[in-house]
This record gives sequence, structure tokens and C-alpha cells, in this order.
Amino acid sequence: MTFIEALSAGFVMVAQWESILFLALGVTIGVVAGAIPGMSATMAVALTLPFTFALQPIFGILLLLGVYKGGIFGGSIPAILIKTPGTPASSATALDGYPMAEQGRAGEALSMSLYASCIADLISNLALIVFAAWLASFALNFGPPEMFTLIVFSLTIIAGVSGDSLIKGVVAAALGLLLATIGLDFIAGTERLTFGSVDMRGGLNFIAVLIGLFALPEIIAYMRKSAAQDHRVRGMGYSRLKLADFRRSLKSIFRGSAIGVFLGAIPGIGAAPSAFLSYSEARRASPNRDNFGKGEVEGVAAAEAGNNGVAGATLIPLLSLGIPGDVITAIIIGAFMVHNLTPGPLLFVNNADLVYALFIGLIASSFLLLIIGSVAIRAFRYIADVPSNLLFPGVLVLCIFGVYAVNNSVFDVAVMLLMGVVGYIMLILRFPAAPFLIGFILGPMLENNFRQALLMSRGDFSIFARGPITILFLCMTVISVVLIIRSTVKAARLKRELGAYGKKSAMQGPET
Amino acid sequence: MLSRRDELLIGLGVMVIGAAVLWWIIPNYIATPRRVPIPALSPAFWPKIIAWTIILCGAVLSVRAVLAPTPPDAVVDDLSVTRPEGLRLLALGVILLGIYFALPIVGMVWVSMIAFALLVLLSGGKHLIWGMIAAVVLPLLLYFFFTKVAGVAIPQGQIVRLP
Repeated sequence: MTFIEALSAGFVMVAQWESILFLALGVTIGVVAGAIPGMSATMAVALTLPFTFALQPIFGILLLLGVYKGGIFGGSIPAILIKTPGTPASSATALDGYPMAEQGRAGEALSMSLYASCIADLISNLALIVFAAWLASFALNFGPPEMFTLIVFSLTIIAGVSGDSLIKGVVAAALGLLLATIGLDFIAGTERLTFGSVDMRGGLNFIAVLIGLFALPEIIAYMRKSAAQDHRVRGMGYSRLKLADFRRSLKSIFRGSAIGVFLGAIPGIGAAPSAFLSYSEARRASPNRDNFGKGEVEGVAAAEAGNNGVAGATLIPLLSLGIPGDVITAIIIGAFMVHNLTPGPLLFVNNADLVYALFIGLIASSFLLLIIGSVAIRAFRYIADVPSNLLFPGVLVLCIFGVYAVNNSVFDVAVMLLMGVVGYIMLILRFPAAPFLIGFILGPMLENNFRQALLMSRGDFSIFARGPITILFLCMTVISVVLIIRSTVKAARLKRELGAYGKKSAMQGPET
Repeated sequence: MLSRRDELLIGLGVMVIGAAVLWWIIPNYIATPRRVPIPALSPAFWPKIIAWTIILCGAVLSVRAVLAPTPPDAVVDDLSVTRPEGLRLLALGVILLGIYFALPIVGMVWVSMIAFALLVLLSGGKHLIWGMIAAVVLPLLLYFFFTKVAGVAIPQGQIVRLP
């Protein structure tokens, strides 16, 4: 299929009213879920996933991508109005958004947030279209050794999603990798860690594991504390975004979008560092830098551009290499798997029409976000009022139905409940859940490519350095590991110094 | 931030898990063919590497906890569970176990309704009327979506069957 043929076929797939409907529905669900304190874009994507089984692949994947896009913007609404970021990346938006809301300029902050989000999202989607096909055509030459070294490099993304403790992130990833070995061995055909259970011979269901890990711990945590938090919602105010303010923020929006695209395309970095980097760069370059942190509209624009600029770019490694760029795209892999599609270079060969349909759908999602986002801003008061003690039981019921529907299996429900308990224990012991999921997804790919490569070479390990591509990935892995260790040691030293300072101040007492 | 003692216990616990996987679970629950021409192709190869990684990380966590300075009390998170919290967690555990065992007998819709209502009560019973309405409506909506739209056979149980 030529580029023009694939593009035309993709356009035909998207130009159905159902495509636009599901995309709009996804954006709406995402914005609402992102705006509800306690929900997150990740949870919303995980909960929507089971509903895509009944849909055609294009509708199902567009629905999920809509939730993803909407969820990222939705997180900025509570960040501005109640200083409760819906996503970690929205924390940067709260730096100037909340002071603006306190000054009665919430409407202005929310409008800027929406426009910056839509522009950055559009730029990110265009970057995806330009780079994904190019990268996929390059990756078509990859054999098992190249894929193995690529996945080893991708595993260093764990550092980006490990939070405070890298070692705990590695433990979580190792546990995910171990869980992925459950089932029948694909070479020997023998049972591995099935404990004699027939249900476990096919391995653990990916969706049961991810919903258990990302939705249930929140429910358990809420039920333990069971204290409804009162959110003080700021009024919208009467201020409107001025065209002059928008125009002077455009530079920061484009710069933030570029930062988002660059960082988003690298697996594991995610939206939060991008939002903060974009914010700090905008502050450095702005003539109004003294107003940053006190209610500067350009700060909101920069943070949101950095945050949303990541959204399309994280799909570059997912679609072209089959490697998730962050946790949400790791979940979106599930939607491809459900429809027997494998993200990666072959997707561009075997399902080029679907890929181009997704690209066109993503462009459309930026415009839908503009419409739906402006309505959601006005409706936020009602969205935020959903009581947590009704929300979380509802989430549990959604989890049960959704997980069962994947394989018509009560065993999967048991896996989900068990993973919920595991996820909660990880939460209270400060083990990040994201590396666990990434290990669980990449585990089979890592092992299969490793073993296929060794079968090809009859056990000769030098196959993993057989050409420039494998050597490049190995070098990148070494550099990445060295950089991670260096930054971890630096952070630990800083923490120790701060701890020593804190102890010294405590010993000196309050008088000094 | 957790206390040094908690971090040390976590490190030791991780080492115990790794050791249990390496020396108990892998030998007993991974069937390996008698002759494997290339050791790296053995079904136990990757699980062993993973188990060693876990043990090593557990050791690093333990050493780090021992060597790290004691954090100020103000920034240490307490892991202890108060009595009401413990009771609520216990009740939630019973509800979750009940969901699994009652699903094939009572049916998914009724189990979900009961679980929803119990969770509303467990979380203080605020918005009780709305809670009870949602407890009935949400499982029914999901039932009709999955049965009629998605074509999934939702377990009906042996007591009351829905159309």
C-alpha cells in the first residue's frame, strides 16, 4: 500500500460518524475523569479499556486516545481551581494557575490552559505523523538481537517512572518481569509458575493486572481513610483572556510544545519533567519573569504546552517500535492486543490504513478538545462535586465488569482483586506501580527476542553485538545507566545534606 | 519518607522474596527439560536472573537503610494502622473475598449491587439515597451494555436471572 493509498484508506475509516462520536466520547470521559479529584488519566484509560472490546479496532483505539488526550487537559482544571493537580504534570500549571484563580482570574487561566493544550497537542500530533513512519521503516530491519538490545535500552525508562527510589523501581520492574514468566514456556512447552492451575497456563491477563494495579489501590486507600476531602472551588471570575496576552504567550507555547515533543519521544521521561522544563524556560526567557509564581498567564501557557506536547510524541515509540513511552501508552498497548494488533514496525506494513486513520483521528482530537474543554471548564463545579464515597464503589463495579468481559473469566477478577492488594501494599511501602507494569509488558518481548537470538546463533552471545544497531543500543543503555546512577547519587547526596541540615536546625531549637 | 527501620525491613523482606523465588519456587514450580543444549534457553534461566536481581536490590535497600542518616520525625511517614482503619480494611477484605466467591452463585449484577451498597455504608454512609440508587442503576446499565451491546455472557448466578 503506497502512502497516498494508506492515507486515503485511513481517511475513509475516520470519516464515519462513529469515529468522531467515539473520539468525542473519549475526550469527554478523559476531561471529566481528569477533572475529578482522586481520578487520574491513567485510571480513566484503564477503566475505559474493557469497553473497547465490543468496538471495531479503529473506534476502540480512538476512544482510548480521546480519553488520554482529554485526561491530560482535564487534570489542569482542578490544578487551577482547587490546587489539586489531576495529573503530576499539572502541578506546574498550579504554580501560576491557582494564584490567578485567587485573584479572580480563573476564567483567564483556564482559557489559556485550554488554548495552549490544544496548540501543543496539535504540534505533538504532527510530530508523530512525521517521525513515526520514518522510525518504523528504519525498525523494519530489526531482527531479534536488535529488538532485544532495544528493549534492554527501553527498560532504562524505569528510571523515569520510579519516583523517589530507583532501587524500589527496579524491584517493582523485576517483580513485573517475574509475573510475565507465568504460563507455558514457548520453547520447551513446560509449565512455569502455574502452580498446577489451568487458568494460569496462558499467563496472567494483562488488563486484570493493570486495572488491579492502577484502580483498586486508590479504592483501598480511600476506604482506609474514608475521609471525604473538602475542596474549596474558586469562582471563574469575570476576567477573559486578552488577545494581547495570548499573543505574547505564543512563543512560550511553541517552545513548550517543542520541549514536550522532544521529551515525549524518549520513552519514560513523561509529561511532568516536560511541563516543569517548559515552565522554567519560559520564566528564564520572559520579560515578566518576576511575576512567575504569582499569577502569570504565560506560566500557565508554558506549563500546559509542555504537558500536552508530550501526548502525541509518546505514541512515536509505541507505534513505530512497540515500546510504550509512558504508563498510559503502556495501557493503550492493551487495546491493540485485544484486537490482535501488534504495535511496531509491521503495523505500518500490515495495517497502514489503521495507522493513518489514527493519525487523522488524533488531529481531529485536538479540535474536539477545544470544544469539549471549553464546556468542561464551565461545568467543573458539578464534576468536582461527585462524592468520593459514590465514585469509588462505582469504580470497583466498573473494574469487576470490565475485567470479567475480557475473557469471560472469574479467575481474571480474582487476579485483579489480588493485584489490587499487591498494588496497595506497594503504594504504602513506596514502590512505584508503573515500573511493575512496564516490566510485565516488556518481559515476554525481552525474553522471546533473547531466546530467538540465541537460537539463531546456537548459543553464541556475540550475536548481541553483531552490527551497528545492536552496538548503538548497547552504548545508549550504558550511557543511560551511567547518567541514571550519577543523578541518583547526586540526589541522594543532596538529600543527605538536607537531612543533616534539618537535624542541625532541630537541635538548635526554635529560638535560633 | 519511611523510617530507617521500615526501610531496613523492606530491604530484608525483598531479599527474602528473592531467595524464596530462587531456592523454593523455581525448583518446585518451573518444569525444566532434562537436557537443555544451551543453558540460557532453559525455562528457568530468566526467572533465576530476575530472582538474583531482586536479592541484589534487597541488599542495596538494606545497606542504604543502615547507612542513611535518620530522617527528622516530621518527615517520616507512619506505617501503623489505627484500629478503625484496620477494621475498615478488614471489612473491605471480606467484601472483596465475598465478591469473588459469590460471583458464580449470586451473579455479577447482584454481587455488584451489594458490594456497591456495602462500600457506601463502609465509607460513612453519606449520600445514602443517591448511593443506593447508583448501587442499583450502575450494575444494571453495565449488564445491559455488556450483554446486549458487547455480547458478553455476564454470570447470572443461580438465584435470580435477568433477561
